[in-house]
Amino acid sequence: MMQQAKAFYEKYKVIILIVLAAVLAILPFVIKKTLYIRYLCNIMMYATLAGSLNAINGYSGQFCLGQAGFFAIGAYTGAALAKNFGISFWPLLIVGGLMAALVGFIVSLPTLRLSGIYLSIVTLGASEIIRIIAQTWEPVTGGSMGIKQIPYPEFFGVDMFKPQNYYYIFLGLLILFLFVTNRVLKSRVGRAWMSIREDEIASKSLGVETSRYKSTNFMYGAFWAGVIGVAYAPFVNYIEASQFTTDTGFNVLAMVVLGGQGTLAGPILGSVVVTVLTEALRFLESWRYVIYALLIIFMMWVRPQGLMGASNSMLAGGKIKVKEEKKKGGEAK
Amino acid sequence: MEYILNQLINGICQGSIYALMAIGYSVIVGVVGMVTFTYGEIMMIGAFSSYYIFTGLSNNLPLAILGAFAGSFIIGSIVYKLCYERFFNAPRHISLLCTIGISMLIKNLAQIVFGPDTKPVLNVIDNTTFTLNLFGANLNIRLLQIVVIVLVIVFAVALTLFFNKTKWGVMLRAVSQNKDASYLMGISVKRTALLGNCIGCGFGGIAGILLALYYGSVSATMGASYSTKAFAASVLGGLVDIRFSALGGLCIGIIENMGIIFTSATFRDVFAFAFLILILIIRPQGFVSKKGARV
Amino acid sequence: MKKRVLALTLTFALAASVLAGCGGDKAEETKAPETKAEENKEETQASEGGETQASEGGETQAAASGESKGVIKLGGLAPLTGQYAEYGTGFDIGFHKAIEEINAAGGVNGYTFEIEIEDTQSDPVNSSTMATKFAEDDEVMALLGDFSSSAAKSTVQICDSYGILQLSPTASASDYAAMSPYFFGIMGRQDVEAPFLAKYVLKEYLGVQKIAVIRVDSDWGKSCYDNFIAQADKEDLEVTVETYATGEKDFSSLITKMQAENPDVLVVMDQGDPVADIFNQADAAGWKIKHVALGPGTSEQVVKRLNDKDNLIVTSPFFFDPDDAELTAWAEWFQSEAGFAPTIHPACAYDCVYLIAEAVKTIDGEVTRENLRDALANLPEYTGVTGAIKFEADGDIKRNYMICGIEGGEWKVLEGFEFGAAGF
Repeated sequence: MMQQAKAFYEKYKVIILIVLAAVLAILPFVIKKTLYIRYLCNIMMYATLAGSLNAINGYSGQFCLGQAGFFAIGAYTGAALAKNFGISFWPLLIVGGLMAALVGFIVSLPTLRLSGIYLSIVTLGASEIIRIIAQTWEPVTGGSMGIKQIPYPEFFGVDMFKPQNYYYIFLGLLILFLFVTNRVLKSRVGRAWMSIREDEIASKSLGVETSRYKSTNFMYGAFWAGVIGVAYAPFVNYIEASQFTTDTGFNVLAMVVLGGQGTLAGPILGSVVVTVLTEALRFLESWRYVIYALLIIFMMWVRPQGLMGASNSMLAGGKIKVKEEKKKGGEAK
Repeated sequence: MEYILNQLINGICQGSIYALMAIGYSVIVGVVGMVTFTYGEIMMIGAFSSYYIFTGLSNNLPLAILGAFAGSFIIGSIVYKLCYERFFNAPRHISLLCTIGISMLIKNLAQIVFGPDTKPVLNVIDNTTFTLNLFGANLNIRLLQIVVIVLVIVFAVALTLFFNKTKWGVMLRAVSQNKDASYLMGISVKRTALLGNCIGCGFGGIAGILLALYYGSVSATMGASYSTKAFAASVLGGLVDIRFSALGGLCIGIIENMGIIFTSATFRDVFAFAFLILILIIRPQGFVSKKGARV
Repeated sequence: MKKRVLALTLTFALAASVLAGCGGDKAEETKAPETKAEENKEETQASEGGETQASEGGETQAAASGESKGVIKLGGLAPLTGQYAEYGTGFDIGFHKAIEEINAAGGVNGYTFEIEIEDTQSDPVNSSTMATKFAEDDEVMALLGDFSSSAAKSTVQICDSYGILQLSPTASASDYAAMSPYFFGIMGRQDVEAPFLAKYVLKEYLGVQKIAVIRVDSDWGKSCYDNFIAQADKEDLEVTVETYATGEKDFSSLITKMQAENPDVLVVMDQGDPVADIFNQADAAGWKIKHVALGPGTSEQVVKRLNDKDNLIVTSPFFFDPDDAELTAWAEWFQSEAGFAPTIHPACAYDCVYLIAEAVKTIDGEVTRENLRDALANLPEYTGVTGAIKFEADGDIKRNYMICGIEGGEWKVLEGFEFGAAGF
């Protein structure tokens, strides 16, 4: 059944995507409740952020834990420049992204010699350092007072405060992100990333300049985290350092892993699942996150490779299938 | 000068608690081969076990330590079953996400079961302060600090002896070094890994009770920041080496407290992480000098 | 493959269930007035038992069944889970307690109250989403919350565009209430309390000169200190200051640093747990010094957690008088409900509901969001468990302060309101 669906998708890919985009585009006219539009905004925002993390973790196999830091760089760059210098939102998207990419480059420097867990802790540490700097650097980030009343984007007089209109910014960014990432992944660069993911030494021996590509990969992921950060700041209207803790990073990581690392649709699905679950479980009150945590663990047990799966790469986790354990007999190592 | 030396004592004391955390953490990482983000909550469980012993039974420190060890040991076995056993051959991020899930589970459950407020742990050890006159400088050492440092040394030595002198210890080291080879040598890798994980967690629990004593309070959310500290300290020591992890923890503790001399305590974590990153740039494998990629 | 299909189906089922939930919501909404009126009827009957005054009960019932006018619904935003769960739980209890009391007394002007509390973790994204949810529900007349200034500030555009007031029990950033005509706060701005501390507590009451301040590095802590230092400069006090990040547990190095300065008094500026932690750790370090705190008020919890209780002096806008039966009962009731002693936060939450009720009292005819806001802004002085409350033009309040200390484990007033009456 899955095969048929896939074949069907491949055949009518363009039409399906256009229909999907059209449906998403008219949603704000169909759904009357602003609350649901806000949920959709949150989902798309986190989907792009998770996608940017996935571009690092899922495609080059580096394990970044500090996406919250890059997100913060984008948010603060956008908010500070818009607030203090009145720069328009649209060029700031690029500026914020480039700022984050620059920081991503700096973070990637020590990571070139590192791998695995060592790299993770450096990114985690960098994210914490960025947060604390944001908390204390008063002239620029407002320190502990944060930046409030961040100007809304201007677009031919449309009232961007309304989530119904802001929705299109997030939708546009998500589509742009998917489009660009899809192109990049199919290019030489993307293939180099994936070769590093599958086997770094082998790809090195085949002439891939691994350190350069790893660095580019970091910058690419950081860039999109920065872009979505710029869009996030006016949406919540008030930013402060405590919004960018490592928990934010873990939350995004959960979306990526749940959805399926190394697939474009995975992070989107992950974002949908996480947002829907946390909202749907509200009736449990203080038990909400207990049940949510149990569901996450349950999903990892049932489907460790993520909902979308990544079945043709080393991320699939196929080896842990129970069958193989049984085949080995008795105690599996 | 006097002031700097006093800060150094604070740093050593905090550093030795970090060292104990790092020891436990590196036992887990070494034996299981996967990082954990549940460690902060393990420490919290240890701290709460001791809190209930102090308030429910008596101010008996050895009993509380035993209780903390046991509490964290049991939680450790649950964590093992849920997060590691199934995912030994899977990509690392899967068990990592499971540990994040468990961490969220324990934290939120603890807020419901233990209550969300911060609870005091006071007067377990008398507030006696010894003043040492060293080259004309007055050094203040608290009895509590001495107890903490002594306990950390005792447990570190005990663990080292366990690893080197007992059959189980040798098995744990074997599993830590090479799982496939130990499997071929007839070691039950899964059972040994379970034991190793539980012992590591037990040490986390003891670190938890020391934190509770040293800071005078316990709360359900206390673990969060220490989890990353333990992680950082053990990475600094090369992840799997107990002695170097302890050194890593001590260094982080001292660096943090010395940093406060120059700026404010808000920057505490900046010092810790900047130091870590700096060391990793110079020595990508932490303090351990062995060559070759690890973990 | 099968599993993938299963997983996908599950996801869609989930999404579908949420969509169905939306549909359900709408259906419920249309039904709501009837069912609520019924519930409400039952509630009034149940709670008032035999003593129900027939006329009042009848009135409520008539109003409820006649139009959808009988219930005033409030939207509560509180961190029920996460880092601030302790305070969110306090909010939850405080809100419900006040509403039960008001409804048990027959409501106000024939209206009874109802509150729906949503968990926000005091996170701006969550808080503004939930604020949207309440703002869109035409029955919700006011928002109560959120706990942190950061979350409370993020709803500014929502409150403005939907014209719904937000009354925060604890948001205390100096610029919070002025951000919107719909924002109100009752924590009290620091431009009175902090100078009061400098001039009256430190200079006049204690007569000290060298002061060591340890403060939390938050928007609240910053505005406290800024106001404090301005006055302290006028009084020629020597101040050294240290900050720590929210969530800090280890204060030993800060204490050693302050000890080296050899000050006359140690001042802590924080509202929550660190107050007791810092003083306990200072005691543990064998540092004999006078303790002063700005922020916790006469919180029962501080008394319970302090090691050396009798050494503390605080500024407080109110006082839990042990002889006042009502207040003692309140504190004991809270303890039994929550399992821990009350801080100032649930008391503020409790007062917030009463403030709304007071505002409703002044409204003739139907209550709307707009006239509720106006009524609240023009409310005459009201005295709650946290003391006298009178809103300034920007929606904030200025409180009067007294000096309190602990004797034998109980709060005592050392100097009453008249001590600081001379102003600055």
